[in-house]
Amino acid sequence: MGKKSSLLIGVILTATTCGLVYVLNRPIGALPALGRLLDPVNGCWANAEPVNEDFSGVRDIPGVLQEVKVWFDDRLTPHIHAQNDRDAYFVQGYIHASFRLWQMDMQTRAAAGRVSEVVGEKALPFDRKQRRKGMVYAAENSLKTGLANPASKLMLEAYTDGINGYMATLTERAMPLEYKLMGFKPEPWTPLKSALLLKYMADDLTGNVDDIALTYLRDAMPADQFALLFPERDTTSSPVIPKGTIFEKPSLAAPLAPSDSAAFPHFTPADFGERREDGKGSNNWVVSGNRTASGAPILCNDPHLALNLPSLWYEIQLQSPGMNVYGASLPGAPGVIIGFNDSVSWGVTNNYRDVKDYYLIKQVAGNSGKYWFAGNQVDFTTRVERIAVKGKPDVVDTVKYTIHGPVMYDDKYKDKTGLQRMLAVCWMGHRGTNEMLAIYNMNRATGYNSFVSAIMNFECPAQNMAYADRQGNIAIWGQGQFVNKWKNQGRYVMDGSDSATLWKELIPMRENPHVLNPERGFVSSANQTVTDASYPYWYNGSFIETRSWRINHVLGGIQKATIQDMCALQQDTYSILAEKMLPKMLSKLNDKASSSEHTIVAALKKWDYKLAADSKEATVYQIWWTNLYWDWWRNRFDKVPDQLWPSVERTMQLLQSDDIDQIGLFSERVNASFVKAMDSVHALEKVNSTKKTDDGGKWYMAKNTSATHLTKLPAFSYDHLKIGGWGNTVNAAKGGHGPSWRMVVQMGKEIEAYAVYPGGQSGNPGSKYYASFLQTWAAGGYNKLHFLPNAASQPNPAIKYTLTLKPKA
Amino acid sequence: MRFVLSIILVLALSGLAELWLPWWSVAVVAFGVALLIGSRPAKAFAMGFCGVGLMWLTVALLYDISNDHILTGRMAKVFSLPNYGLFIVVTVFVGALVGGMGAWSASLLRRGLSKEN
Repeated sequence: MGKKSSLLIGVILTATTCGLVYVLNRPIGALPALGRLLDPVNGCWANAEPVNEDFSGVRDIPGVLQEVKVWFDDRLTPHIHAQNDRDAYFVQGYIHASFRLWQMDMQTRAAAGRVSEVVGEKALPFDRKQRRKGMVYAAENSLKTGLANPASKLMLEAYTDGINGYMATLTERAMPLEYKLMGFKPEPWTPLKSALLLKYMADDLTGNVDDIALTYLRDAMPADQFALLFPERDTTSSPVIPKGTIFEKPSLAAPLAPSDSAAFPHFTPADFGERREDGKGSNNWVVSGNRTASGAPILCNDPHLALNLPSLWYEIQLQSPGMNVYGASLPGAPGVIIGFNDSVSWGVTNNYRDVKDYYLIKQVAGNSGKYWFAGNQVDFTTRVERIAVKGKPDVVDTVKYTIHGPVMYDDKYKDKTGLQRMLAVCWMGHRGTNEMLAIYNMNRATGYNSFVSAIMNFECPAQNMAYADRQGNIAIWGQGQFVNKWKNQGRYVMDGSDSATLWKELIPMRENPHVLNPERGFVSSANQTVTDASYPYWYNGSFIETRSWRINHVLGGIQKATIQDMCALQQDTYSILAEKMLPKMLSKLNDKASSSEHTIVAALKKWDYKLAADSKEATVYQIWWTNLYWDWWRNRFDKVPDQLWPSVERTMQLLQSDDIDQIGLFSERVNASFVKAMDSVHALEKVNSTKKTDDGGKWYMAKNTSATHLTKLPAFSYDHLKIGGWGNTVNAAKGGHGPSWRMVVQMGKEIEAYAVYPGGQSGNPGSKYYASFLQTWAAGGYNKLHFLPNAASQPNPAIKYTLTLKPKA
Repeated sequence: MRFVLSIILVLALSGLAELWLPWWSVAVVAFGVALLIGSRPAKAFAMGFCGVGLMWLTVALLYDISNDHILTGRMAKVFSLPNYGLFIVVTVFVGALVGGMGAWSASLLRRGLSKEN
């Protein structure tokens, strides 16, 4: 080869090498930059945490005031011992960020509608919806209130500094794996982000919007039929506050309702919005000491939320002078949300009273800057929402704000079903509420009175707060900030131009439904109706009854309750729905169906109504019932744009009535849906069964409870977890939803506590702590919690690592 | 002997370079070493390929063994590879290829620019 040709080939090869490096150094489409990712020194390999990683150490951290000890136990739960409150929240932020930074970043991005910035255009509809809902507006309002109070200000700022203190030490190499895969970097934390996270939870828990569908349905059928199918309250409810509880005389009179025609607009089928999402629910209960084996009250809680990885929850113990609290914290927010301290314990379920209403806005004809209110032309205020989109120019959406709240839908932002009307949303979460302060004081509560004072700042999302203390008190509060409404206010979309529809007086929070040490010896809630009809204030909501029937039935019969009994009740898969419906369904089955499927029909007749993981009867029943429910209402409601169908509970009640037997249609539907269900079951058996297993038809395979990574990457997710239950059983493990934190605390002389959650303490998919509790959770196991005394040295053998954080001079 | 030494040199220098520089510094190292030590193009490619490849393999194995293959198992799934071993192979191949290309380019340039014939 001559010199010239060598040179030429050399130049070409050099260019090719540069080209190769260039290609490997940049993302292509959804693929990450392969060179950067695969590089063992700085890429994904650096996230391969050694299985015997030592988390001990001594670090000098600017911002720490006095030495802080972090003791990690064998499950990597940190026990933080600080000498002052600021350090406690600083180190909580530091530790949250060490193990969950990417998740915190993504969840607050989701809250603020900033996902497109890192994943591109596909998240734009989601981001726009978040902005339209006024999520950032809401968080800004709460931040203002939070910073105005010295305690919540301290929490927010110390926590923020702690996260940023960790980020200052973060090298490219140590960056969470997901950043490397998605090709972006974390930005500094701000107190607004913590406020956003709490609004994200509030939105998740108060997002039900039956108002629009009900507005249509009440026009679409005769009034008596509407009342039959969509009763305002379930009269068979076993309410949160036991029946017969005497409520105090209300301080406010019921406001005068405007005339129906003035208050509510009318919708045609073309005007429609969101599909109902149900199944979010939770359980909590406390059994009083006179009904437990130990004589001490036992408090239990399992909030049902999305089963994601990294888990929504992070287990933690926080100590500072005057505080020693243990429980579930939310990465992204300071304090402990559900748990116990050395005096009291508490657990929460969603309260579901309606705190989100829609208003039809009448824009002034020919003037898009004004709308009608109380006979006047009023200016909209506007908020310009600039949404950054990865690889594309920013998208700008100008959102109009009314006296009620932001205009959610208009001609520039239609719901996916094409809603044509201008609707503003009025949400309690938009207000500058300060739940952070409530958490601050709940974490330090020393007894019933201080706990009750603490929860007076817990305004939204409304929660049923179960309480137990070491003095033996048990209580439950239907807590939240509510509006003194006239009957039916906000049940339907309201006319936003009439001042009578405005949210006016707030109900004093001390008048919220509550009960202390009730005679029946236990308190409980499972998202059911909050009170019986004797509660003086009017309210509506999307309540779910099924689980509460079962819980109250079991607790009502219990005498010497043990911790094991309580764990067993959290695992309970008994379906009241099946108990009530299946015998009736079986009785209508014709000979043809029963003979061709005689084995399963015989098994169903003997079935114990438990939706156990291994049960094949559960699969058949559940699919059969779903088909029956579908067939029963389809003809009537399929044309309804919003698809709000009568609730499962209501359907059950209607189908049980004797009148149904007069209708031949019922047994026809029962048989048709059985045939359809068996087709599905046989198909399932075929698809799910492999050479290794014939589990295909078993309930856990059919329902597929999964814990899915936030990126949805199957490689970081787990599916077909072997767990029983469904939305209508106490153990409400559904597909992607379920008990997100199970806790049982006995408030005796020595506090004895157990908990588990479907995830692990580390958010790093390369860590052995990533999903370390998942199988225990699925199998119904618990971890014993090491609740350490508030002391500077700890002899507890469960402590495996000690991390010391020192102030940097 | 010289060949083995040059591989070790690429291995050591590329490892050092990556402590401060981005991943593609391995190509620059292989390029530089090949420019410094003249050798036949095929041999230069082999040197860069083996030098960087071995460095990446060593680091990858150190991580993987102490991690009980947790991360490699998941990453293999991300790339639809049947097992973690193949993920190691793919990784090492990418590094080795870049190193080999760098060295190969340099050896040809050196020959093209050299004064002797």
